[in-house]
Amino acid sequence: MATQDPTQPILEIDKLSISFFTRLREIPAVMDFSATVMPGEALGLVGESGCGKSTVALGVMQDLGVNGRIVGGSIKFKGEDLNEMSPERLRDIRGSEIAMIYQEPMASLNPAMKIGKQLMEVPMIHEGIGEKEAYARALEVVTDVKLPDPERMLKSYPHQLSGGQQQRIVIAMALMANPSLLILDEPTTALDVTVEAAVVELVKDLGKKYGTSMLFISHNLGLVLETCDRICVMYSGEAVERGSIEDVFDTMQHPYTQALFRSIPLPGADKNARPLVAIPGNFPLPHERPQGCNFGPRCDYFEAGRCDQGFIPMEIVPGNDRHQTRCLKFQEIDWNAPLQVTETHEKPEPGPVVLKMDNLKKYYEVAANALFGGGDKKVVKANETLSFEARESETLAIVGESGCGKSTFAKVLMGLETATDGQILLDNRSIGETAIEERDTKTVSDIQMVFQNPFDTLNPSMTVGRQIIRALEIFGIGENDAERKDRMLKLLDLVKLPRAFADRMPRQLSGGQKQRVGIARAFAGDARIVVADEPVSALDVSVQAAVTDLLMEIQREHKTTLLFISHDLSIVRYLSDRVMVMYLGHVVELGTTDQVFAPPYHPYTEALLSAVPIADTSVEKQHIVLEGDIPSAMNPPSGCPFQTRCRWKSKVGDLCEREVPPVRMLADGHQIKCHLSDADLADMQPVIQIAAE
Amino acid sequence: MEPLTWTGSLGTILNPVFGIAIALYLVAVVVQNVMAFIAGPVTLQANPDGTLQSRGGVIGMLETASKYLLLVIVAALLAYIIIPLFMGYGQAGIVGEMSKRFLPVWIALVVLFVVSICYKRRLGLYGKLFDSTVGMIGFALVMFWVFTALFFGVFDWIATHDYLSQVSGLKNKVPGVPVPEGTEGLLPHYLLGGDNLARDVFSRMVAGSTFVIAIAPLATLFAFMVGITLGLPAGYYGGKLDTVLSFLANLILAFPVILLFYLLVTPEIVQTGIPSYMAAFLFFFPLIFFFVLLNSRYYTQPAKRTAIMIPVLGILGWLYLSVINQRGTVINFLPPWLDGFDITVLVVFVSVVFVNAPTVFRIVRGLTLDLRTRDYVAAAQTRGEGAWYIMLWEILPNARGPLIVDFCLRIGYTTILLGTLGFFGLGLPPESPDWGSTINEGRKLLLVFAHPALPPALALMSLVLGLNLLADGLREESLKD
Repeated sequence: MATQDPTQPILEIDKLSISFFTRLREIPAVMDFSATVMPGEALGLVGESGCGKSTVALGVMQDLGVNGRIVGGSIKFKGEDLNEMSPERLRDIRGSEIAMIYQEPMASLNPAMKIGKQLMEVPMIHEGIGEKEAYARALEVVTDVKLPDPERMLKSYPHQLSGGQQQRIVIAMALMANPSLLILDEPTTALDVTVEAAVVELVKDLGKKYGTSMLFISHNLGLVLETCDRICVMYSGEAVERGSIEDVFDTMQHPYTQALFRSIPLPGADKNARPLVAIPGNFPLPHERPQGCNFGPRCDYFEAGRCDQGFIPMEIVPGNDRHQTRCLKFQEIDWNAPLQVTETHEKPEPGPVVLKMDNLKKYYEVAANALFGGGDKKVVKANETLSFEARESETLAIVGESGCGKSTFAKVLMGLETATDGQILLDNRSIGETAIEERDTKTVSDIQMVFQNPFDTLNPSMTVGRQIIRALEIFGIGENDAERKDRMLKLLDLVKLPRAFADRMPRQLSGGQKQRVGIARAFAGDARIVVADEPVSALDVSVQAAVTDLLMEIQREHKTTLLFISHDLSIVRYLSDRVMVMYLGHVVELGTTDQVFAPPYHPYTEALLSAVPIADTSVEKQHIVLEGDIPSAMNPPSGCPFQTRCRWKSKVGDLCEREVPPVRMLADGHQIKCHLSDADLADMQPVIQIAAE
Repeated sequence: MEPLTWTGSLGTILNPVFGIAIALYLVAVVVQNVMAFIAGPVTLQANPDGTLQSRGGVIGMLETASKYLLLVIVAALLAYIIIPLFMGYGQAGIVGEMSKRFLPVWIALVVLFVVSICYKRRLGLYGKLFDSTVGMIGFALVMFWVFTALFFGVFDWIATHDYLSQVSGLKNKVPGVPVPEGTEGLLPHYLLGGDNLARDVFSRMVAGSTFVIAIAPLATLFAFMVGITLGLPAGYYGGKLDTVLSFLANLILAFPVILLFYLLVTPEIVQTGIPSYMAAFLFFFPLIFFFVLLNSRYYTQPAKRTAIMIPVLGILGWLYLSVINQRGTVINFLPPWLDGFDITVLVVFVSVVFVNAPTVFRIVRGLTLDLRTRDYVAAAQTRGEGAWYIMLWEILPNARGPLIVDFCLRIGYTTILLGTLGFFGLGLPPESPDWGSTINEGRKLLLVFAHPALPPALALMSLVLGLNLLADGLREESLKD
């Protein structure tokens, strides 16, 4: 590896413009983008989906596909222009000097090849070294990415590893050739929070150890804060602000950056006292960008006649280190002005108990041989003794990672599955054993669901209006078609969509708009209990705030009970009244939001809290990284479900391995499932502390 | 009357041009492939104004050359078709006269393409087809035969003679042979010669198209109805139902098709009534399909449901009874005034549906397995929709892309299957003009007289090729955007 002059940038992108050519028109994806990455530096590229951040990465790799072309500017890697390199030279550089890590780990690994072979290929191709040497190197790198039992790892196929382990292997593969630049395109989006925290930690450590420069692409500001030295905020194909993490996070100089920060739930935000501020309007489509400032139409500081005239260059913010912004008015705006709180709401009083779960259990029997029904049967305990109550107009958050049984619980509640044992009481009527076909229309329309994936929640071949009307038909609302149509339009008003959307097909809607239609459909029969299964996790940050607020507003008006399933603790803290934390089918902690978010914690809650990245430089977090992955529900650990990953286990001894802890009441309404003694629990420190300003 | 030559006076100029262009084109393509190993690659450069420019050395030049040669070839082909339209009878030879006979088809094709291209942005997937050259060529080939079949079947255009009448002295005569006085149909020549029973080969080919175009899509449609009605529940419910149905489908697929056909058309088997019962069974599926489709959609509004259901099921029911009720078979209970029509090729129909349905079943089952995990299906379940509504209105419309493509391909297979059946003389009257039978007739003297067998063979090939290209184009375009 050639040594690199530390004063010379590794990657220098200058006024890069990339366009995609479709049969209708040229679509500019990136315009006038400049960035520099110094040796050992990590640059974060942040923006909403469609802002061109991944295109920049692909441009650096010179892998834009048939339709993409670099139409201007230069990308210099160690002083060499990548645009003018021959295909042979590019092949040489890719994988050895520049490595890329993609979002979906399973898609980056060849499923038909053993891990070891895939890893060894890299140095064997690029450096032509022998098999033995390559194997030694692979073993070393796999050890470096902290995978247990490296030799066994090298002998396994990708599908034998969990998602987190696969992503570690992908990282290992990228490091095999000891690259000088590592491009990470949303490397942790497909992973669970606690696994994500461990992978991020790993990337940070490795960056230091190998001295690799990094280009870290993410939509998550908190993640960038934790991993990067410098940040570049992109909006609609342009870089709007760039600078060091501290400068951009604390003294931002672009209205978009400011709006972005105001729309994410930081600790301290409250749905009633300090609601989130969504960015008004929609992300402009690439061919419908406005004149002048792209952010103009959505900007609070917009000045007609000035912001909408011609090209706006990047300007240097005086006083800060390489801090630039693409705003004409940045010197006039008072950046410290406090947020105008437009409206505050009274916190609604929870009404009577609507829904009661009593020792709900759901087991699945999995036969070893599906066709002939023979062989051993395994029991998967998806839900274990679930008990809680939900009141009218209350938000109960259900928190947990994948495989914790929250989706199974939702299915049982909806009636798609029936409970194995225990009861679900809706207004004191037991509905746990009634499948949905046998429920009466009223019960069905009372409990409705909002789904996670906006691209999947609507039937792609039916108009929006038709889908809502269908729900009305099924719930028996309205006497005739005209009445139902009227009601459908009112529902569109309710979710703040224009009435013209009734005739649109779902593909013509953005993710946030689709999610609104999903909400309208759920409220078609005046639902009293709405199960929201991660309703905003797939949306962009600025849209998340708007959709969350909409849900809250409808809830206030309709006195709905909201069961909010999520793994994102920031949003849970912002909007829920009570929180239930689940792990492998068990409720490990249940209490009001304040109780759950303050010590004493259940050890799992503690780890979850620590894992969530927070985009606030003034927050100090305790770093708790969980070892390993979530155990499979097919084969749960003995005793306490969390004992395999618990960092407090040594305080109790082997009791954890033998017995499932009993439910303990810590305070009024605060229950916890843990063997830790009262003294140990009282000893716990808060995970998140806001530093005094 | 003089016999016609192939291209007449038109050929004196056009034939050499055409030949040379084709020869040069082939040379250019070969050289291009060889040079690709030696010469430098073509680079594309983006200009500041957003246009693209290719900079290529030898390869670039060769590419341009072969592009222009291809244009010359296409122009020559068009000239063969267009110029004769303005020439007198016989001057442009056999090719010219055929082009003239197909004039209504040309006009219909041009109108169809102009209209479609003008409005292609508003026509959904069909409109997108006109962005793909392959798709357009395929569509043109298919529509050529569809229009031919339509104009012959409805107006009796295009064909020059009665396809059954025999003219003495014209047995196995070469293309362009003059017809004796007094027996001319519309033209005084047999354009593509006479077959071994002295019938006009050209007219028989045209007549055969009507047979193929009428049977193949309809039989495929029935196969799809059966496959969909069984495949949806198999994929949606899974479990034992899926296992049993898939096993049956595999059983049918594993049975030799030709043997099955032979069995079905054997007179002894026909007398036992097995084909009729099979028809009664298979053709009942469309009825089930439409009943479930409408019922699941409108059951919340009983009045509206009844109003729609009665006419639809009434007409379908009558069609069903008319189809399965055949004089002279075991199922013959309708009074003649109610029996709308008799299908002479019922056996062919049944066999085609029977062998195609299992494949469709498997495709639909696979798509359903994938689509049933979508959130909108879960949303429908959580609002208490019935299983059939979910299958037919939530899942099926979203599986349409692959199904449309497969439909096109399957019409192609069916066409070949019909050809095969005709070739073996199964289930069709001996004088039938369908392409399979005609090829079989011509086969007997193929080494001596190739002309009676070639036209139907080429016709069959071009139609199936067109269908395959069309399916390719549709698949390609449906994946874009």
